[in-house]
Amino acid sequence: MSRARRKWASHGLTAPAYLWLAVTVILPLAVMLYFSFLSKMPFGKAEPTLSIKQYALFFERDFYSFLTWRSIKLGLYVTFFCVLIGYPAALILAKSVRGRWREAVLLLVVLPFWSNALIRIFAWTMVLRTNGIVDQAIQAVLPGAPSIGILYSYPAIVVGLVHSFVPYMILTCYISLQAIDDALIEAGRVMGASGLTIFRRIILPLSLPGLLVGVVLIFVPVVGAFMEPRILGGRQSIMLGTVIEDQFTEVFNWPLGAALSFILLAIVMLIFAVSYPFLRNRLRLA
Amino acid sequence: MTRRLGYAYLAALLVFIYLPIAVMMAMGFNESSNYQLPFRFSLIWFDQLSDNEILWRAGRNSVLLALANTVVATVIGTMAALALARYRLRSHAVLQLLLFPPMAVPWLILATSMLIFFYYAGIGRGLHAMLLAHVALSLPYVIIVVGARLYSFGPDLEEAAATMGATPVQTFFRVTLPVIAPGVAAAALFAFGISFDQFVTSYFLSPPGVTTLPVEIYASIRKGFTPEINAISTIIIIVSMVLLLLVSRFYRFGGTQ
Amino acid sequence: MSRVEIRDVSKRYGSVVALNQVSLSLADGEFFGLLGPSGSGKTTLLRSIAGFVEPEAGQILIDGADVSRISTHRRDLGMVFQHYALFPHMSVFDNVAFPLSVRHSGKAEIKKRVEEILELVQLGGYGQRRPRQLSGGQQQRVALARALVSNPRVLLLDEPLGALDKNLRQQMQVELRQIQREVGITTVFVTHDQEEALTLSDRIAIFREGVVVQAGKPGEVYERPRTAFAAAFLGATNFIPGRVADRRGSAGTVVLEDGQTIHTLDPLPSEGMAVTVTVRPEKFSLHVGGRPTPDEDEAVNCLAAEIVQPIYMGASITYRVKAGEIELTLFHQNRESRIEPPGSRVWLSWAPKHSILLEAPGGDLL
Repeated sequence: MSRARRKWASHGLTAPAYLWLAVTVILPLAVMLYFSFLSKMPFGKAEPTLSIKQYALFFERDFYSFLTWRSIKLGLYVTFFCVLIGYPAALILAKSVRGRWREAVLLLVVLPFWSNALIRIFAWTMVLRTNGIVDQAIQAVLPGAPSIGILYSYPAIVVGLVHSFVPYMILTCYISLQAIDDALIEAGRVMGASGLTIFRRIILPLSLPGLLVGVVLIFVPVVGAFMEPRILGGRQSIMLGTVIEDQFTEVFNWPLGAALSFILLAIVMLIFAVSYPFLRNRLRLA
Repeated sequence: MTRRLGYAYLAALLVFIYLPIAVMMAMGFNESSNYQLPFRFSLIWFDQLSDNEILWRAGRNSVLLALANTVVATVIGTMAALALARYRLRSHAVLQLLLFPPMAVPWLILATSMLIFFYYAGIGRGLHAMLLAHVALSLPYVIIVVGARLYSFGPDLEEAAATMGATPVQTFFRVTLPVIAPGVAAAALFAFGISFDQFVTSYFLSPPGVTTLPVEIYASIRKGFTPEINAISTIIIIVSMVLLLLVSRFYRFGGTQ
Repeated sequence: MSRVEIRDVSKRYGSVVALNQVSLSLADGEFFGLLGPSGSGKTTLLRSIAGFVEPEAGQILIDGADVSRISTHRRDLGMVFQHYALFPHMSVFDNVAFPLSVRHSGKAEIKKRVEEILELVQLGGYGQRRPRQLSGGQQQRVALARALVSNPRVLLLDEPLGALDKNLRQQMQVELRQIQREVGITTVFVTHDQEEALTLSDRIAIFREGVVVQAGKPGEVYERPRTAFAAAFLGATNFIPGRVADRRGSAGTVVLEDGQTIHTLDPLPSEGMAVTVTVRPEKFSLHVGGRPTPDEDEAVNCLAAEIVQPIYMGASITYRVKAGEIELTLFHQNRESRIEPPGSRVWLSWAPKHSILLEAPGGDLL
């Protein structure tokens, strides 16, 4: 096919995707950016003016920076635990388990991950309620044991989020771990390296890209989480995400919600910018 | 020895992952209306489900939406994946860049920005708005999955067909499409799953009276629990898992073909 | 009129010149080999003929008509790809039938023709198998059958034997040539394996960095390379630098660094000029003992040398020797069943007609 024909064919094929993304992602984000610079909601009599009032609010009120830091901390906690739990699991899967079992276990780990996140969080409310059935069961077997009823608390949020996101970490770490040629490890052994050394100097560095991808894929959604804190956190539920949600569903202060969203977005972009050099090879589209 | 430890760890992990789900599903079959032991098997909550008008409507909406999303996202995504894989143009970098936001930007932000924009663009809220959102969220995944399949086959087959006299249209339908069919099927199932389970965008884009299952469930949870929620959740979880099992037939995780 | 003609075809990718005004002319039924290292342009030229690459300049004519504007699928070609490109979702029969079915031939005709061609490649009865059930050699034959079934004007082969192991490759080379002769189709064949090119081709063209360095019959190009590159690419060779001592007479003389002289029948430039003479390793004779005494009127080249390393190859022995400062390689047929040890002093002799003068003195080596 000639070059001109090729160009037209290509544009024709990609046009619907471009159009769709423009209408649903680009334009909305642009409009929201505009909104973040409005002084008030554009309903009612007075026309809003352009101002950086909303952003200023963020910096003036301690509340918001406290909130942002709280959300970032949540992200850090959750990511940390996901790495702690997920990386070893991926390592075991990639290097110890062989054959059919490996795929089966991987599938089992990933299976719930694709079901509804909301439902999984709801499931945790079952488990973590004081005097919920798990508590009752434990009491029946070991009377006097401490209750695991931690529902409506910060740790509950962390547990729920870790449960939701650890499969991400396992999957991304697994992908980069299983790509490590066994021959490298064997060579290391022949050259006299102990298991710990092999891990530290061969396995860990080579699996770092996968680890980083996992970290980014987990940190970003957690910082903006609102559903999980609301359901599991009770009075502890307040996060940047929940406050943003409120602006749109309760308070109807869209400009503020928009500004807060962009601040959240800025944080996310920062994370990406910092980690992009490491991620470049991993995320290959088509 | 360490091998045994490793297996034990994995087993413990699987318990952690499945415990809440198992408990929740069990409660759907428990007679007690406020989750008290002892466990007595009963299908009463599933029965009550069938009378729940709201949930039925929400369920129907969810399924219809997911089906529509599957068709639209798969078609648009496959077209784009074809162009990206077979025609190397510099402008493609733009499209690839555009595919990042649905995956990288927190869905909360995407949903709220769509809410604002749709209001002003006259699109408003409703199932059509949700469809717009769902397709946008599904596109990157469809493109990646189909693209991977196209990549693994390279342009050889299509070039061969051309040398044998097949027009581009003939080549597409007789060679390209059959070969990428597993990838397209996997992508379609992904798209269905993404839409069926989608909460955030549906939540913000649903007007009163028009909801999807996840949104209804959220509302019910906020109001207070009843085991009916467990019953419907059990059904949804099983459907999702079956879908994923089907996907795994067509598409291998972990990068191995 | 030639079947295929390439006229001044040029193609560049950014700053890289893939083809630089390449011109070739193929006769009807000819098996033409394009040979060269990777990146030399041979594959680019093949793909230009196929229509996957659009040259910036020049014309490609098939049967006298310029095909540059015509899409691949209307050029009436057959092509075999390096990894065969068999359609995995179709049976062998459907694969081979494909060119006919896209031309909407009748079912009966298709059946007849496909069975015919499968017989030709010795795969009769394999119609219902799937590509993945076939061995490499069988897949290759299906690819060939598929390329020939519609009786195309030109057959293009893109390193078709590259994926086969050595023994199978040699067997397939013979079969491939037989089939091509039987069908009589003009064929363009790309390879980086010089042995293969020499074996199969009626004529070859050696490519280097987008330019045809030399083209002609295999015998011509092998025995009389014009440049050091062509000489070295087609097989092992030796380079002997020296200066022109005497250019009169039928056998000119070249004097080497250490004073020894050799003769060549090629015309020499003026005396004193630096030249490079190349001699193929199989043209030497090895003499142990004294300096060989030639027959009377024959001017023979003799060089004293010392054996550096013998390499036992079974049917022959490759000797690395040193004549003065010059390192030479010679192939010695293993008639005596003995290997001369390193350090032995020997004499090399060869006929002056096998001293080939290279056009670019010394400089243009690999």
